[in-house]
Amino acid sequence: MSILSYNGSAIVAMAGKDCVAIAADRRFGIQGQTVALDFQKIYEYGPNLYMGLPGLATDVQTVAQRLKFRVNMYELRENRKMKPQTMLSVVSNLLYERRFGPYFVEPVIAGLDPKTSKPFIASLDLIGCPMITEDFVINGTCAEQLYGMCEALWEPDMSPDVLFEKVSQAMMSSCDRDAISGWGVVVHIIEKDKVTTRTLKARMD
Amino acid sequence: MFLTRSEYDRGVNTFSPEGRLFQVEYAIEAIKLGSTAIGIQTSEGIILAVEKRVTSSLIEPSSIEKIMEVDSHIGCAMSGLIADSRTLIDKARVEAQNHWFTYDEKISVQSIALAVSNLALAFGDDDADPGAMSRPFGVALLFAGIDERGPQLIHMDPSGTFTQCDAKAIGSGSEGAQQALQDTYHKSMDLKQACVESLKILKEVMEEKLNSTNVEMAKITPAKGFQMFSKDELEEIIKEL
Amino acid sequence: MIPTFGQNATATPKQAHFNPYSFNGGSIMAIAGDDFAVVASDTRLSEGFSIHSRNAPKTYKLTDKTVLASAGFHGDVLTEIKVLEARLKMYEHEHGKKMSSQAIAAMLATILYHKRFFPYYVYNIIGGLDEEGKGCVYSYDPVGSYEREVYRAGGSAGPLLQPLLDNQIGFKNQQGVEKVSLSKDKAIKLIKDIFISAAERDIYTGDSLHLKVVTKEGVSEETFPLRRD
Repeated sequence: MSILSYNGSAIVAMAGKDCVAIAADRRFGIQGQTVALDFQKIYEYGPNLYMGLPGLATDVQTVAQRLKFRVNMYELRENRKMKPQTMLSVVSNLLYERRFGPYFVEPVIAGLDPKTSKPFIASLDLIGCPMITEDFVINGTCAEQLYGMCEALWEPDMSPDVLFEKVSQAMMSSCDRDAISGWGVVVHIIEKDKVTTRTLKARMD
Repeated sequence: MFLTRSEYDRGVNTFSPEGRLFQVEYAIEAIKLGSTAIGIQTSEGIILAVEKRVTSSLIEPSSIEKIMEVDSHIGCAMSGLIADSRTLIDKARVEAQNHWFTYDEKISVQSIALAVSNLALAFGDDDADPGAMSRPFGVALLFAGIDERGPQLIHMDPSGTFTQCDAKAIGSGSEGAQQALQDTYHKSMDLKQACVESLKILKEVMEEKLNSTNVEMAKITPAKGFQMFSKDELEEIIKEL
Repeated sequence: MIPTFGQNATATPKQAHFNPYSFNGGSIMAIAGDDFAVVASDTRLSEGFSIHSRNAPKTYKLTDKTVLASAGFHGDVLTEIKVLEARLKMYEHEHGKKMSSQAIAAMLATILYHKRFFPYYVYNIIGGLDEEGKGCVYSYDPVGSYEREVYRAGGSAGPLLQPLLDNQIGFKNQQGVEKVSLSKDKAIKLIKDIFISAAERDIYTGDSLHLKVVTKEGVSEETFPLRRD
């Protein structure tokens, strides 16, 4: 079994009309044994910039902190907020530095451009290969299930409410078919002037 | 008569010039020495009743078993060489369990009869299926059971021939008993009547006085499957005769 | 000690090994309704990055009341179908009746388990009508563990399809919805939608969708195009 599926996780980011959603499960487990139900997998890097980190839990936290360091340094030197597009480059760079001894994380980025408010979603593999899409990005042990759900549910120009409903349904139904994801779901809906965070009541088995 | 047969009644699989298999015919004759067994089919279920020959007061009557359970929905009554029936009943039981194992459904009475008939016919063949003997089986069987076609009563003789019947008697008293069944049987008979009728007939054809220790009776119903009658239940019915 | 010949001769003999299995892809699905069952599969047959056939449905009509869908190693699929059809005929001759869906389901489990230590590399789903005329679905693992269900997706896109069935037919994770029984038309429409989604993301699923609809009138067929890339 890959070390990427040692702890288990499900992350999805989805674009709507003038809004993006990012959602993650809350389980922290060691293979089959569930250890905690409040594990943070989504990190905030700016008012409209979020990143989800599925993969090996220790690397999740290390990468999250090293990125915080780089984002802080960027903002101090540049004296401006970081764009999601830039964030993607930073993450890619950080991961590729460890090309031959990688962090076992496959990040998902969701945000709105600080100037244009255009939705931005992207994902990377564990050595930093970036991918930007228009509809949704998925990573984690539950990716197959999420692809099936999102491919069927997604439609263009969803309102924040519709987007929330779709992401939530996709997350819950997918996690129910993955033994090492789930145990609660957190969803962030990112709009221009507000971010709504909800935790979903899901199956706890 | 025996002189003419003598050349052809040794090999079990040798036809006589008249086209007869004497050993099989003798086996059928052997049934007529056995104790009487009766089966009656009704729309509510089937009754099997047999006479037990308790030839000495030193015999434990319950050790004589002439009605056996094949599966929860099929029973079998027998007459003739009871020892021979062990192999046949065993075959029937294995076949029933195999069917259940493979198909997750109850085997039909006809399929049981077919399987047992194949074994009954395999005599004389040295390397036939296990269980087959060098001579024909000396026992006749009455298979009774409930399947998707409803209550079924099937008679099988040592030749392996099997026929479906509404009511059938085998054994030493079979001639009289069959005639009695012919007269009393009707399609609208219920299970209770069949119980009474079968014991009445047994009582007629038995040499000893019928009581709860020298008969065995079983019923097979859609609801409860195969059930033997207890001594008390038998006495209850015998009282009414 | 390994015998050596010359200074650099350290290589040990290696046994070349024949791998008896390959994976030919394909997705399968079955849904049971009150008085019908729909069995579906795509028609792509592939191996690695190449496509052997764009027109190879993986649904097999066993009787007027039972349809089987099988995906996995196509060689094993074909053999398994042959064995099943022979057993079906033998049963009919021995017992003088057609096999019911339940009996076929139980028999398939024993056929698969009899190859427990050299299994058929096949994922099976049976769809049909039970003895009461109700729709039934049975799903299997390759060694014969089976279960009766209302719906099931399997094969290469099984993990993509199953959560959607849970959501749309099982009404899982939906609050305050009326659990209405599924109509035949809705089931077919749903299967089409779901397979379009699967063909989008799974390279082993595509070309066409083949449906077999089982009702008391018999088995009818339908084909519907999917993306071919």
